[in-house]
Amino acid sequence: MIPFKFSIAKNPSEALGLIHPHAAFLAGGTNILDLMKEHVAQPTEIIDLGRLPLNTIKPTATGISLGALAKNTETANHQLIRKDYPMLSKAILAGASAQIRNMASNGGNLLQRTRCSYFYEINMPCNKRVPGSGCAAMKGFNRMHAIFGWSDQCVAVYPSDMAIALSALNANVTVMQQNGGERSIPFIDFHLLPKDHPEKDNSLKHGELITSIELPKNNFAGHSAYIKVRDRHSYAFALVSVAAGFELQGSTIKTAHIAMGGVAHKPWRALKAEAFLKDKAATLANFTKAANLEMSAAKPLAHNKFKIEMGKQTLIHAFEVALKG
Amino acid sequence: MENTNKIIGKGIDRIDGIMKITGKATYATDYPAKNMAYAVLFKSTIASGKIVEMDTADAEKSPGVIQVITHKNAPKLNVKGGLRGGALLQGPEITFHGQHIGMVVAETFEQATAASHLIQVKYQQDKTEKIDFDELAKKPEMPKGKELADLVRGAGKSALSQAEIKIEEAYETPIEHHHPMEPHATVAVWEGENLILYNGSQIINGAQTAAAATLNLRPEQVRIVSPYIGGGFGSKGGQWANVVLAAVAAKMVNRPVKLVLTRQQMFNSVGLRQRNIQKISLGATKDGILTTLAHETISHTAVDSEYIEPCGDCSKIMYEVPNSLISYRVVPMNLILPTYTRGPGKSTGSFALECAMDELAHQLKMDPIALRIKNEPKKDPSNGKPWSSRTTVKCLEEGAKAFGWEKRKAIPGTHFSGENLIGYGVACGTYPARQRDSSANIKLTLKAGQVYAIIEIAASDLGTGTNTILAQTAADGLGIPLSLITMKIGDSDLPPAAGSVGSVGASSFANAVNDACTKITDELLAKSNKQFFVRPTANDLMISEKIAAFETQSSSKAPAEAEQYSAHSFNANFAEVSINKLTGMVKVTRFLAVTGAGKILNPKTARSQIIGGNIWGIGMALTEESVIDPRYGNFAIRSFADYHVPANLDVGQLDAMFINEVDMIPNKMGVKGIGEVGIVGVAAAIANAVFNATGKRIRSLPITPDKLLPS
Ligand SMILES: Cc1cc2nc3c(=O)[nH]c(=O)nc-3n(C[C@H](O)[C@H](O)[C@H](O)COP(=O)(O)OP(=O)(O)OC[C@H]3O[C@@H](n4cnc5c(N)ncnc54)[C@H](O)[C@@H]3O)c2cc1C
Ligand code: SF4
Repeated sequence: MIPFKFSIAKNPSEALGLIHPHAAFLAGGTNILDLMKEHVAQPTEIIDLGRLPLNTIKPTATGISLGALAKNTETANHQLIRKDYPMLSKAILAGASAQIRNMASNGGNLLQRTRCSYFYEINMPCNKRVPGSGCAAMKGFNRMHAIFGWSDQCVAVYPSDMAIALSALNANVTVMQQNGGERSIPFIDFHLLPKDHPEKDNSLKHGELITSIELPKNNFAGHSAYIKVRDRHSYAFALVSVAAGFELQGSTIKTAHIAMGGVAHKPWRALKAEAFLKDKAATLANFTKAANLEMSAAKPLAHNKFKIEMGKQTLIHAFEVALKG
Repeated sequence: MENTNKIIGKGIDRIDGIMKITGKATYATDYPAKNMAYAVLFKSTIASGKIVEMDTADAEKSPGVIQVITHKNAPKLNVKGGLRGGALLQGPEITFHGQHIGMVVAETFEQATAASHLIQVKYQQDKTEKIDFDELAKKPEMPKGKELADLVRGAGKSALSQAEIKIEEAYETPIEHHHPMEPHATVAVWEGENLILYNGSQIINGAQTAAAATLNLRPEQVRIVSPYIGGGFGSKGGQWANVVLAAVAAKMVNRPVKLVLTRQQMFNSVGLRQRNIQKISLGATKDGILTTLAHETISHTAVDSEYIEPCGDCSKIMYEVPNSLISYRVVPMNLILPTYTRGPGKSTGSFALECAMDELAHQLKMDPIALRIKNEPKKDPSNGKPWSSRTTVKCLEEGAKAFGWEKRKAIPGTHFSGENLIGYGVACGTYPARQRDSSANIKLTLKAGQVYAIIEIAASDLGTGTNTILAQTAADGLGIPLSLITMKIGDSDLPPAAGSVGSVGASSFANAVNDACTKITDELLAKSNKQFFVRPTANDLMISEKIAAFETQSSSKAPAEAEQYSAHSFNANFAEVSINKLTGMVKVTRFLAVTGAGKILNPKTARSQIIGGNIWGIGMALTEESVIDPRYGNFAIRSFADYHVPANLDVGQLDAMFINEVDMIPNKMGVKGIGEVGIVGVAAAIANAVFNATGKRIRSLPITPDKLLPS
């Protein structure tokens, strides 16, 4: 950690007025402070968002709006979320620990950085931390790393559970810009694949402020699941996770939304499996085919071949749970 | 008739519990000192080679920095003074990744940390560094330690070729870390030529002599203060460089210095449990009588000194077998020296032995409990001595009954509960029972008709309840109520004692206190010059003789006849697991440890000890693993986010039962010790339960979900 200035913003425009290239926003602090203590992030100024009036969760004409500063715990336990978006509630509760969720904000959760241990180890090459320095994980210990969409620059995975559900739910991220303008980013475009610029996790520009996450209405509430496979039963990042929601007509799947965590640099929408399941009978045979199809494109690294089989099993398991409702 | 007024054997609350939960108990970093400065260590980023250049100029100019200390300006220390793991800033040589190469001393911890990032180091890397265990383990070396020489009984391993039934398998255990809740931390205060070290120490007098010798001081110039310790598990048994470096910094800046290791630094500063490959070969007759047992271990150790935990220890004594071989080979590596880690050798060794026994039982289609009982040795097979007592069979039988072992399905993979597979496993464990030399002082005072006692002993309490059991011992020994007893422990100014290591603490300390109680009562009796039909207590005598103050000190050692016996604690562990058949996630839903450990001084603290060991055993079985990157020699797992100790959800229902046994041979109080044995056999019981649930034999710990995927 290096010395830094601490400033408090009372409203979004104040926050946007204070931000500069060496400053960082602080929401719950559960990620940015760790990164500072580990010397990975070295902002010279911290702008506390804690007082911003962006902490409400409220129904809208098109669905529900989650304030960027609303806490993960509150979001997961909100009665409308539990009733209409149980997949999101389950995904949030599958993440971190109760203490961390009590502090973590919805906006901060989306922006949490990878858990690749070389990213945290400041003496190791890491293109995400120091562009151009190399990727220590590529030929290193990469059991936790990506099997989809990685590049020769970075093989890290994106760690959020909440975001996997948001991806399956087709959320939009509302962002306020320094010039006072606003834009809305569809979730599928929010996080990026590493390609040649792994230092960029997402399409947010520095200085932009997330104000809310908008969830459209959906018909998945009766048939959804979030399944997370991890090395211990709580307080561990996903080896593989699956968010799945079905819209059923009798025993036919009208629509399936499926996203995977722990497998890529962003929430991985399982578009192949979704396309396969559309208008198919909800049977184990179809579930297995869909899972196989999705996982057939995986490119594992030296230590994470198991994620292919684990991915299949977890998809099937999530489909079965979603079907049961 | 038994005296039911006795407080020993009662499950009373810890006498210091309130102090702890209200924050009044003083751990090492809680000692205030005027004008404190803060030292932060910085570490090498290569595994082997030497420092050719170190630029500290920017750090020195950084705000708040008082001094930067490196091998260039550090005082010459005695590297053979008894500290573990080197790294004393004595030269430019590097022997492991993360070796301390200097420290920044500043006005605040944050300033020292910030400045430590400004130090530029150039290295000359030694290309022959030894950091790839898998490669090195193909050509292991002979160990240097004499106690690790090959031990052959009968025809040794060669008898295997004659066996009707054979099991030959290798079992692997990874590097594990102690990671006590309280990290290693020291406050060093010089008072003229004398040094006070506030420092969590499992062996108070050991820490004192090692620190003094390293600093070229006389032991009496160094005082260790450590009344409370936030866990150690072996890592605070021997002391490490950080303790003495705090004293060096304090001397150099001429101020008290606080030095606290960060959690990341805990990975490579204070020892670890070594990585092991254990090959077990079992030979047996068709009806399950063991004929051969070979236990061959390959372990890593450090390049410049050797410690390996003795994995073959359980195999020496657990079963009657005419032909056996216990052997060790080592793989020196550029890594921090391994050290004693809870149940050293026995927890890892029992994983291999007790899984192999389970494999044998399965092959023989025998119940694994019956197989063990069939091979129960009448006397210690390693030395022919009679057991002081042996409770293995009792532990197995009483445990089986309490656990509902009869519900176990003998055919693996056939017990379902919804989408989960259920499995039962059993495994035994053992740990030696010993008493070590210790002394204690008792001060009695009579005030307003009440006798108060102060008990002084340089014992240590790791958080296990030592303070409480010693107060209980004194209360009974003196006839004084617990509330009038003050314990003083954890200070090298007190009468010297053994350490809280190797399960010798309770027996050594309690016998010392008990003997001192007997001695003070004898002396008071003599002073009274009266004859009594019923022996009065010290309390009675102080009051009846109106003695204002009385004091005595005594020292104790193990009874001479204990040598003629083989004395151990024994246990049997029962695990029930539930495994999701698609995701492979394992949950230990129930665990029962049945322990025969002689006299249980306090069932409440004893239970905590046992279930604490069980929980670490769950971690060992399912979650804990540290990984070295074979290209750099660093830990690729480097925080609690990925070094997974069991969380609440990983721990199901835990039960601890004790065998009611009286064994007065090992020591006068019949105490055998429970600290270590609680983890012995745990991982094996869980791995055996996983096999029973799934039919998959996982011989490499931890059993993470990827290892159980349907194939
Ligand atoms: C040990 C541990 C285990 C964890 N396990 C899990 C897990 O299993 N699953 C999981 O999903 N998560 C896990 N987490 C991560 C946790 O969910 C995140 O740290 C948390 O959600 C981040 O939210 P925050 O509000 O604390 O963010 P902060 O740390 O305050 O901020 C994170 C980043 O977002 C930026 N930021 C915050 N708010 C805004 C905004 N409104 N607009 C623009 N930028 C903003 C900050 O500048 C910073 O860069 C774990 C964390 C820890 C420490
Ligand atoms: S995977 Fe990405 S984050 Fe990890 S070391 Fe490589 S570049 Fe850095």
